Amino acid sequence: MTASRKSVVFAMAFGIAYCVIYVICTEVNLPLLTYHPATGDVGLFYQPPGRGPAMYWYGWLLTALIGASALALIATALPEPWVQRVITFAAAFAVLYLIAYTAALVIYERATMELDFLKDRSWSAIVALGFAPLVTLFMPGAWMQRIWPGWLWVVPLGAAIVTTYYLTPYFTR
Amino acid sequence: MVFWTTLLILHALLAVALLGAITHQTVSVWMPVRSAAGSFVGRYRAVPSHSYATAVVVLYLLTFVLGAWIYTNYRYTSRLALEQLRFFKVVGAFEVKEHLAVIGLVMLPAYWCFWRQPLAPDHAAARKQVTLLLAVLVWANFLIGHIVNNGRGFGS
Repeated sequence: MTASRKSVVFAMAFGIAYCVIYVICTEVNLPLLTYHPATGDVGLFYQPPGRGPAMYWYGWLLTALIGASALALIATALPEPWVQRVITFAAAFAVLYLIAYTAALVIYERATMELDFLKDRSWSAIVALGFAPLVTLFMPGAWMQRIWPGWLWVVPLGAAIVTTYYLTPYFTR
Repeated sequence: MVFWTTLLILHALLAVALLGAITHQTVSVWMPVRSAAGSFVGRYRAVPSHSYATAVVVLYLLTFVLGAWIYTNYRYTSRLALEQLRFFKVVGAFEVKEHLAVIGLVMLPAYWCFWRQPLAPDHAAARKQVTLLLAVLVWANFLIGHIVNNGRGFGS
């Protein structure tokens, strides 16, 4: 039996939202709990290492699980074109932010004077926030009718690239 | 030690089965045979790709759960040794593996929906792409796991 449209929407929204929230959790360190493997202790939210190392990975999984489940449930209650529009906006924001921040860092490195404000991420976020609605607005109407299933490989691929990129210090030491 | 080694071997065996299933499915969906298959490669491509979906989901879940369990032991035994030995690339490779494993895991609900019978024609492209990405993630994790085990695994 083929999957119902609501379950497909839930599955797609869940996968996309989970990837995004998970990347944020790893970057900002937002674990729902902390596990201390040496002692077997579990603590709520972030806790510093005690006797032995602390593990946040399980906490990130749970934070992303709760967030993604909530967003996916909301997505099933909304008209599909709205959900597609929100995903398009978020994807455009992420790409534009990446471009703006990379450009800001390149300018900062090559400038002959001190432009410290360029290192502030909020400027890049503001630029992305300004242009993302335009990208969303100029998308063809036919494309906005249903959730594009291709998001299910585009967003996870982006998440894989970003999380791997953040780990480059391990490979350049 | 015996307990964790047993879990690690079981994890590896499940990963081999998962690797076989997802590779078979990916090849058959991206390079389907149009005529009767004669050669070994042709028969490899000729399998019904949809029949692997449930096996892939179950094997992925089992492999992930076992891996997540073994991770607790790795974190305060093998990893500490790897850091003391300054094997930072191996430690980093494992960090990559934990992220890729999660990303693959959360693709499973949609992957399963896309492969539900009868196959929806409007999901045909996404079905192929999601399957390919899942295969790439499984292969990457398998190879990283192998490398990490070579760094500080069984018998070291």
